[in-house]
Amino acid sequence: MSGKLRVPISVSRIGIAVIAATTAIAGLALCGIAFGRSPGELLAILAGGSIGSSFALQGTLLKSVPLLLTGLSVAVAFRAGVWNIGGEGQFLVGALGAFLGARYGVIASLMAAVVAGAIWASIATAMRLWRNAPEVLTTILLNFIAIHLLGYAVNGPLQEVGGKYPQSDAVPARASLPLLGNLELHAGVVIAVLVAVAAWYLLYQTAEGLRLRATGFNRSAAKWAGVNVDGQLIRAMAISGAMAGLAGGIELLGVTHRLFERFAAGYGYAGIAVALLAQLHPLGTIASALFFGALTTGAGELQRTAGISSMVATLAQAIVILAMIAFMRRSKTSS
Amino acid sequence: MRLSHITKRFGTNVAVDDVSLAFAPGEIVGLVGENGAGKTTLMSIAAGELAADEGTIDDRTSAGIVHQHFLLVSEFTIAENLALAMWGRDADAIIRDSGIALRDVHRRVADISVGEKAKLELIKAVARHPRFLILDEPTSVLAPAEARELFVVMRQLAANGTTVVFISHKIPEVLEVATRVVVMRRGRIVADGGTMTASELAEAMVERRQVERRQQVERRSDSPVRQTAAVNRTGESDLRLPMLQLEEGLGVHAGEIVAIIGVAGNGQSELAASLRDSLRGHVAHIPEDRARDGLIAEMTIAENIALAEKRWRPRIAAKTASALIERFDIRAQSPLQRAGSLSGGNQQKVILARELERKPEIIVAAEPSRGLDIEATRFVHDELRAAATRGAAILLITSDLDEAFALGDAIHVIYRGKLSDRLTPAEAAERAPQLMAGVERRESGVGA
Repeated sequence: MSGKLRVPISVSRIGIAVIAATTAIAGLALCGIAFGRSPGELLAILAGGSIGSSFALQGTLLKSVPLLLTGLSVAVAFRAGVWNIGGEGQFLVGALGAFLGARYGVIASLMAAVVAGAIWASIATAMRLWRNAPEVLTTILLNFIAIHLLGYAVNGPLQEVGGKYPQSDAVPARASLPLLGNLELHAGVVIAVLVAVAAWYLLYQTAEGLRLRATGFNRSAAKWAGVNVDGQLIRAMAISGAMAGLAGGIELLGVTHRLFERFAAGYGYAGIAVALLAQLHPLGTIASALFFGALTTGAGELQRTAGISSMVATLAQAIVILAMIAFMRRSKTSS
Repeated sequence: MRLSHITKRFGTNVAVDDVSLAFAPGEIVGLVGENGAGKTTLMSIAAGELAADEGTIDDRTSAGIVHQHFLLVSEFTIAENLALAMWGRDADAIIRDSGIALRDVHRRVADISVGEKAKLELIKAVARHPRFLILDEPTSVLAPAEARELFVVMRQLAANGTTVVFISHKIPEVLEVATRVVVMRRGRIVADGGTMTASELAEAMVERRQVERRQQVERRSDSPVRQTAAVNRTGESDLRLPMLQLEEGLGVHAGEIVAIIGVAGNGQSELAASLRDSLRGHVAHIPEDRARDGLIAEMTIAENIALAEKRWRPRIAAKTASALIERFDIRAQSPLQRAGSLSGGNQQKVILARELERKPEIIVAAEPSRGLDIEATRFVHDELRAAATRGAAILLITSDLDEAFALGDAIHVIYRGKLSDRLTPAEAAERAPQLMAGVERRESGVGA
């Protein structure tokens, strides 16, 4: 009986996500006309560049890792009713933390990333509890601070020994994430999937997750039911920041190995689109991150072979966000 | 203006029941009654805002109504709000014509006091020169001095031939300003006249309850007095009334139901909220505002029930919820149904199931049967009685006097944030009308 009730809900939710994703792809293809390319040709390049070869597929997976983690970060915060728009800043601070911890090995380095991200996000919580400052504002402003903090670091104390470019030295080899077999993939892929499963377990299989979701849906009712709402918010935001920080750490130790300005490259903001497309479900976020990962690598191929700016991937993200918000609004008003 | 045989129903509830009433120019009519007596409904019909189901209105004149809740744009200035109401006229001129003092029209409404907002609403209504002006609880947000200022304006308007209807449940004010008093109870007019004493008015307003001593259940007489709360707090509510000044602890013994009655808005919500935040231990809360505070509408019945528990195992929770659905006779298809899809009565049963299943030692129940049908109400009452029999200390906050007398072993009346002495049901039946209306000063020596 319970199965009968639940299936249509999840089917319709997946349906909505598929429609939103398709809308984004269709929007992109139509944009091709503006660049003098047929939509079909554009789609072929996108597909070839993202899933067309083993190399392309590995590129997609690598791009999906930070997207998955920042997506989970947004999903957990949104589930608790907190608008954490600060994934970008938490990502950067996480990478900074990882860089500083790199000399103590890969585990310590990742731990530092987690802690740094959690602390950065908690600054917003502290301002909320102290002066009721909305997270939408504080987290986004903390992004700018983090960007400039990184800029200062790579132009100053953490600049490479040569002092030639505004970037850091490479992290020591023993702090790099190990590669999986003889692939280009690093172990961060496994970590990210494990974190997604852990997030699902936390949200749906523990009392902590139950109260976190209750707080997100209706803070007042949760309070009357005996939930310590402030405590839930503090922990949800710390977990959210930790995930974004981990994403930054993995990106540093697995992909770039150096810090430089523009290190985050929009992963934090992209996490919002990833989470919304997954409708804030941790396991859905895996599929959603793969979709956006493919889109990003495919867009890179577009730039190389067709001369179309890879910024079109950002356009697709925007379309997804708008489509999902439109659907969510509708389902909310109709129920 | 003459109203004849006006009847208005909301669903099965008859709000106004065959009321006939005539008004003369220059009268100040005090319209009084308990909450839900039908005052506001009747006057909305007179003002043409609501259509009556039956009855006719003759000699209808231009009517204005000032609602209890402000209809102002906070981000706009006083002048801008007046421009919204009367486009094209100078704000200062409108204010001067109204005879109501309100300075500096360039202040934002968000920054002015509640009393000034009330004045602004009044100016908006008076500016249209109505022949019939209805003021719905205008003094509930005013300080005494501001209220007196309002009375001066009302008398001026009446002197110019306007009929002023003053809806209120504050008897002293009504007696001060009204030239005629009309009392409503349960949708009907029960008294209408020019000269009434405060006591007569209170008697007419609040029906005398027959006190039926309910079966004295076996009480553990040796159980110690359990203080459920010792609240000592002076808070200011949004209404700028000093709310909740409970000087001494409010005592509830184990196995006892203590009811707190009063006209809504006298500090009941603040009391419940402060008890929620201050009581520690094994406490159950039944919140007053079920729609906002009761259940998480988006979550399942099982999830809502599990919120009260330390652990969450989906399968076990579903089983527990199934058993409670059975026991509390909740009309639901499955424990995995969304709580928001249940009817109001069934939502209340889910709350009861969650709160009472834990066998709490203290229960704070605010308006536990509000909006429920007879059967559901009886069920709620039986559950509360059963909990008391089991030894729980129960504080019942209600605006339904029948409920208070049906359940309460002792009764306090709350008025302007102050509790009366502890009364026996018999004493309360005698004195509640006056205490609720604030016409009897608190006496000492009656307490428990």
